[in-house]
Amino acid sequence: MKFKAINKKMLRLLAVLVPLLLLFFYVALRSGPLASVPVTVVAVEKRAITPVLSGIGTLEARYTYRIGSVSSGRVKQLSVDVGDLVKAGQVVGEIDPVDLDEHLGAQRSAIKRAEAGILSAEAQLRDAKAKQAFTASQEKRYRSLLQASAVSAELMETKHQEAEAASAVASGAQAGINAARQELASVKAGYQGMVKQRHNLLLVAPTDGLVTSRDAEPGNTVLAGQTVIEMIDPQSLWVAVRFDQLQSGGLKAALPAEVRLRSQSGKSFAAAVLRIEPLADRVTEETLAKVVFTVLPEPLPPVGELCEVSVQLSLLQSVAVVPNACVHRVDGQLGVWVVDGSALRFAPVRIGATDQAGNIQVLEGLKSGDRVVVYSKSALHAGSRITIIRNNGKGTLL
Amino acid sequence: MISLAGRDILHGWVRFLMTGFGLGLLIGVTLSMAGIYRGMVDDANVLIDNSGADLWVVQQGTLGPYAEPSSLYDDSYRSILGMAGVARAANVTYLTMQVRHGGGDVRAMVVGVVPGGPGEPGQPGFLVAGRHLTGGRYEAVADVKAGCALGDTIIIRRNRFRVVGLTRRMVSSGGDPMLFIPLKDAQEAQFLKDNDMLLQQRRRTALNPLFNRPGVPGLLDAVIASQTTSVFVNAVLVQLKPGYCPEAVAKDIQRWQRLQVYTQSQMRTILVDKLIATSAKQIGMFLVILSIVSAAIVAFIIYTMTMAKIREIAVLKLIGTRNRVIASMILQQAVGLGAIGFVVGKIAATLWSPFFPRYVLLEPGDAIRGFIIVMVISVLASILAITAALKVDPAEAIGG
Amino acid sequence: MSGNGIVIEGLQKRYGSGDTLVDALKGVDMQVAPAEVVGLVGPSGSGKSTLLKCLGAVIEPSAGRMRLGEQIIYDGGWKIRDLRALRRDKIGFVFQAPYLIPFLDVVDNVALLPMLAGERNGAARKRAMELLEALDVAHRAKAMPAQLSGGEQQRVAIARALVNHPPVILADEPTAPLDSQRALAVIAILNDMARQYETAIIIVTHDEKIIPTFKRIYHIRDGRTHEEAGEGKSPRELIKTDKA
Repeated sequence: MKFKAINKKMLRLLAVLVPLLLLFFYVALRSGPLASVPVTVVAVEKRAITPVLSGIGTLEARYTYRIGSVSSGRVKQLSVDVGDLVKAGQVVGEIDPVDLDEHLGAQRSAIKRAEAGILSAEAQLRDAKAKQAFTASQEKRYRSLLQASAVSAELMETKHQEAEAASAVASGAQAGINAARQELASVKAGYQGMVKQRHNLLLVAPTDGLVTSRDAEPGNTVLAGQTVIEMIDPQSLWVAVRFDQLQSGGLKAALPAEVRLRSQSGKSFAAAVLRIEPLADRVTEETLAKVVFTVLPEPLPPVGELCEVSVQLSLLQSVAVVPNACVHRVDGQLGVWVVDGSALRFAPVRIGATDQAGNIQVLEGLKSGDRVVVYSKSALHAGSRITIIRNNGKGTLL
Repeated sequence: MISLAGRDILHGWVRFLMTGFGLGLLIGVTLSMAGIYRGMVDDANVLIDNSGADLWVVQQGTLGPYAEPSSLYDDSYRSILGMAGVARAANVTYLTMQVRHGGGDVRAMVVGVVPGGPGEPGQPGFLVAGRHLTGGRYEAVADVKAGCALGDTIIIRRNRFRVVGLTRRMVSSGGDPMLFIPLKDAQEAQFLKDNDMLLQQRRRTALNPLFNRPGVPGLLDAVIASQTTSVFVNAVLVQLKPGYCPEAVAKDIQRWQRLQVYTQSQMRTILVDKLIATSAKQIGMFLVILSIVSAAIVAFIIYTMTMAKIREIAVLKLIGTRNRVIASMILQQAVGLGAIGFVVGKIAATLWSPFFPRYVLLEPGDAIRGFIIVMVISVLASILAITAALKVDPAEAIGG
Repeated sequence: MSGNGIVIEGLQKRYGSGDTLVDALKGVDMQVAPAEVVGLVGPSGSGKSTLLKCLGAVIEPSAGRMRLGEQIIYDGGWKIRDLRALRRDKIGFVFQAPYLIPFLDVVDNVALLPMLAGERNGAARKRAMELLEALDVAHRAKAMPAQLSGGEQQRVAIARALVNHPPVILADEPTAPLDSQRALAVIAILNDMARQYETAIIIVTHDEKIIPTFKRIYHIRDGRTHEEAGEGKSPRELIKTDKA
C-alpha cells in the first residue's frame, strides 16, 4: 500500500535528481577524451585548377634618365622642377660655364689666326713658286747656254742648285700650307669640341617625360657625372615583381596578371607578364619578373609604390582536387583522412599544385567520390571517433 | 525495514539538495583549478606537438626560440637540409606582440612560416575553417582564440593581413593565440623597425660624414638600403627521415653547423620545467590548498549535518535502535551528499570551463580521482560524526 | 510477586566519589502489577529521574535488585546482556515531549520499533495502525509529526511506547505541557492501554490535575520511597466535571 502511494516529495526530489544525472552523463560523454570529434567532410572531385602565383613588387619606370653634366661645375640655373612634363630636347638647366666662354673666344681667335696663317702660307707658296719658275727657266737657259758652251759648268751648277733650292722652298711652302690648313682644322676641331662642351653644360631632356627628382640646386657644385635632374617616361611604368621560387614553377612571359596597388587595395588592374629576369635573387630566393599594365592606371600612381601581383598560371589538367585544409602530415607522410562509412582511415597522397582558393591537386592516392575530412575540432588519430557535421555553407566548423 | 537515511533526506530534500549544490560548486571549483593547472601544462605541450618538428635549431648558446630570443641567418636551413637524416627543414619566426583587430588589440604570437603548403614544419596541424596559406603575401591563419572571423583584417606593424583560415588549440606556452603569416612578412614585422624608427635611422646615417661623402654619390643610398634588409629567423624546424635517431642528428647539426639543437624531449623540459615552471607551481600549490580546504569543508558540512540530528539520534538510541542502524543512516546520507556534490561539481566545471580565457583541461583521470577523494572524505567525515553521535547519552532524552 | 510487573528491591544509586559523593537513591522498594498504573511523585532532585533511568536500563544502579516480569534484569550487576533489546522490546518510554522522529510520518514513527526488531514492514504498519486507531489518531497516520497538535503528538508517542506490547511503560511527566483536559485524556488512554495489554505503567509526575486518578502513589524524597493510597478517580469523569 505504501509503495503504491505516490509521494509528492519523492517526485519533486526525483524531478531534480534525474535531470542532474542525465546532464552528468551527457557531460561525461560529450567532453573530454570520450567525446567524439566533430568534423566536416567533402567529396573529392576532379577539376582543373589555375594556380595563381602571388608576389610583391614595386612600381618602377622602365627607363630612368639621369641628366647631369660631363664636367664639374656649379649649377647655374634649373628651369624645371619635380612633376613637370618636359619635351625631348627641352633645356632643363644649365651648368655655369665659368671661363668656358672666354676659352671659346680664345679659340675663335685661334681659328682666325690659323686662317691668317693659311693666307700667309699661301703667299709664301706663291712667292716660292715664282722663284721656282724663275730659277727653273734660268736653269733651262743656262743649260742650253752650257750646251752652247757659252757659260761655265760652274755657273750652270749654281743655277741648277738655285733651281733646286727654289724647288725645295716651294715644297716647303706647300707643306707650310698643309700645316697651316691642319692647324686650322685642329683649331676648328678644338673649337667644335669646346662648343660641344659648352653645349653639354646645358642640361637637355633626351625624350618626352616627367621630372621625378631634382638633386641639386642652383649654386651647388656638382661633379662630373653627378645626376642633377632625374626623369622618367611615365608611359613606360612597369611593376618589378618578386616571386618566391618555391611557387614560381610555370611562370613565363605573356601570362595574364592582376595588379593591386597598396594605395587602392580594392581595385585590381589588368596586366601581363613581360619577362622573367634571367638573374634571380640568390639571397632572398626569389624570382624576379616584370609585369606591365594593360591600361595604365589613371592618375598615375607614384613610382616606388608597393603592389601585389597575382599571375594566373596556365590551367592544369583535370585531376582530383581537395581543399588544402584536408592535407596533414602524420608520421612523416603527407596524406588525408578518408571517411569509410563511419571509420577513419589515413590515406597517403602525392600532392601537386595549389590555386589561390586553397584547392590542392592530389596526383596519387585518392579517386573522385572519396569522402575526406576537411575541418576538425581537434587533431585526429587513427582511432578517433568522429561526428560528421553538415557544412553550414560558409565552410566552417564554428 | 524502512530507509531512515532516505526518509530523512526526503523530509528535508530542499535543504539536502541545496547543501549538495553548494558542495558541488566547491568541488567544481577544485576540479576547475586542477583543469587550469593541466591546461597550463598542456599549452606548453601543445606548442611542441603542433610545431610538427622533431628538432629545433636555434642560435648557439640560447634556450630559444620560446624561452629566449634567438636569431639565425635565414639561409642556415640550406646547410641543415643537406645533413644526413633531415627530411625537411623550414625557417620559422616567433614574436609575441599586440596586433590590431576590429577596434582593439589582441595579444598574439605571430608565427612566420614558409608557405610551402600543409604538412611543412611550423604550419598549423588542422583547420576549423578556411584554408592554409597559399603563398600570397599578407595572408594569415588565426587561432580562434584571437577572436577573428574569416575575411577579417588584422594589422601587424605596418601591414594589413587578411584572415584566410582558422585553427584551434594553436597557442603559445603563455596561452596567447597564434597567428600564422608568411615568413617574409613575419621577418619584416620582427626585424624591421617601424616607420618612425626608420626615418630616424636614415637621418642619423645621413648626418654621419663617413656615410655621406659628397665625392661618392651613391654611398648614402647604399648604406641605407643595407640597413633595411631582414635576413634573420628565430629557428629552423627540422623533420627527420624515418629510422633516424633525433639525438644523433642533433649532435651532428650542433657539431658541424655550430648551432644549438634541441630534441622534442629537451624542448619539453625547457618549456615545462623552465618557462612555465613558476606559474605552474603557483597554480599547483593553490590547487593543493584548495583541495585541502574543500575536503575540510565537505567534512565540516557532513559533521554539522549529523550533529544537527543529535536529538533524533538520542531518541533512536533510547527506543532501542542498534548503533549499526544509526551509523548506516548517517553514512548513507554522507555518501549521498558527496555523490550529488561530485555530480554537480563535474557538471559545473565542464559547463563553465570554456569561458575561461585560458585553456582548462578536465581530464577524466582527475574526475575519477576527485570522485574517490570526495567519497573517502564523506566516509571519513561521517565516521567522525557517527562516533560523536553514538557517544550521545540517551539519558539526555529523559529530562533531569 | 508472580507473572509480569515491576519489582524493585533496595535499589541504590551513588554518583561521584569523595567530596562529590551523591546518594541519589538510598534504597528504593517498588512494586507495580500488570495492568496497574501507579504514580511516582516527588520534588525535583528527589531522585525521580534517576529511578526512572535505572528502571529503563539507561543507567546502572549501584546496588539492589530489579525484576521485570519474570526476568531479573539487575541484581548487584546487570543480568541482561543486550540492554538495547531490553529497552526496545520490554520497556516503553513516554516523555514530556513526544520526541517523535520528525522525518518519519506518524504510522512509521510507531511502526519503526517493530521494524527494528525485524518485523516485516507491512505487518509492523498494521500493528501500528491498530494502536493509532485505539488512540484515536489513525486519521493522522500519514501526516508528519510537525503537522500534529501537541496532544495528537503525545498520543502518537504513547502508541509508539505500546506498539511492541512491552510489559512495562515508564512515563516521565507525560502531561506537563498539556492542559487539564488533555492531561486527563492522556491518563485515560494510558489506563485503557494498561488494561488492554496488561502493561505495568509508572507515571512520574507532579501534575496536580492527574494525581487524583492514581489508585496507588509512591512518594519519593531524598532517595527513598513510601507508598500511599491514591484517590483512584476516573479520569473521564474528571474531564466531565472539569467541563462543568
